[in-house]
Amino acid sequence: MTAATVNLEPGQRFPDLDLPDHTHRPRRLSELAGGDPLALLFSRGWWCPKEQRHLREVAAAQGEFEVAYARIVVVSIDSPEVQSAFRAGLGARFTFLSDADRGCMDRLDLLEVTDTTHRPYRPTAFTLHPDLTIHAVYDGYWYWGRPTVEELRQDMRAISRAVREDFRG
Amino acid sequence: MRNLPQGAAHLSFDGDALYAGRGPGRCFMVDARCLAGEPVRDAYAHVCALPAADASLEFDQPEIQQARRDALAWWIPLLGDALVCLTTLALDESRYGGAITVTRGPVAWSEDPFARIFPGCVLRTGLLSIVPPPPGPVLERYAGVAWPGGAF
Repeated sequence: MTAATVNLEPGQRFPDLDLPDHTHRPRRLSELAGGDPLALLFSRGWWCPKEQRHLREVAAAQGEFEVAYARIVVVSIDSPEVQSAFRAGLGARFTFLSDADRGCMDRLDLLEVTDTTHRPYRPTAFTLHPDLTIHAVYDGYWYWGRPTVEELRQDMRAISRAVREDFRG
Repeated sequence: MRNLPQGAAHLSFDGDALYAGRGPGRCFMVDARCLAGEPVRDAYAHVCALPAADASLEFDQPEIQQARRDALAWWIPLLGDALVCLTTLALDESRYGGAITVTRGPVAWSEDPFARIFPGCVLRTGLLSIVPPPPGPVLERYAGVAWPGGAF
């Protein structure tokens, strides 16, 4: 990731993306966060075995997010129709955003330059505060760089502790 | 019914029609956004609730959690652009009285996951407005507001 372009570093505010979701509805990232901590995952696409594996892991953890007031959003270059099918196959109940024309990719400078066939997003994960301030960044170009469920859990705990006034301990 | 929490509004149902605020029949708390915008005229409301005052369950019962999961997983995607808004119907902080799915036209009502809890009836209404569907995966309610309304 070339952070200098948009400065996607911890403590910086993540851009409020405006993209269609997996049902074609226009969505803003801030609306999807809705006042809760957010795990934002940039994904190559449905065809990548690494993405399939990682997102199955994330989908398996969504039961914690559903009771813990935290959100998950996935961004890829897949069309909304493809995302909808992929989402259903994963059993996911969170939102996918489609950047099929790569308009946000350019702005974020997250093009994976080694795949000149698909020109997908470089797998990158961010954990965000409700106001989209970046808590942590994970470069998942190599699979082991992606956040584990435990790391997501720890990040959601840290963000919740910071933003929930009645979070003790 | 106690004072409304922030993000909630009253909606009444007498078995034949919906009324904004406290009207005839049962009075429920709904996601206030459904009544806050420009109403969609001649919409269809699938009301999965009963007029009987004792028709309620605990919000946290597994079958009601699962209906919410199913709404996020496939009911809302199935509705696509037809969806106007969706709200559960709360009687208080803990009791579920039903749910309403509002659409621009007729849809496959028999698939409505909330109809597994209380049977649905289809009404025409011009009361309710467009609300972005919940992004998921959160199922929990915010300070007692009817899902998917409210925020911290």
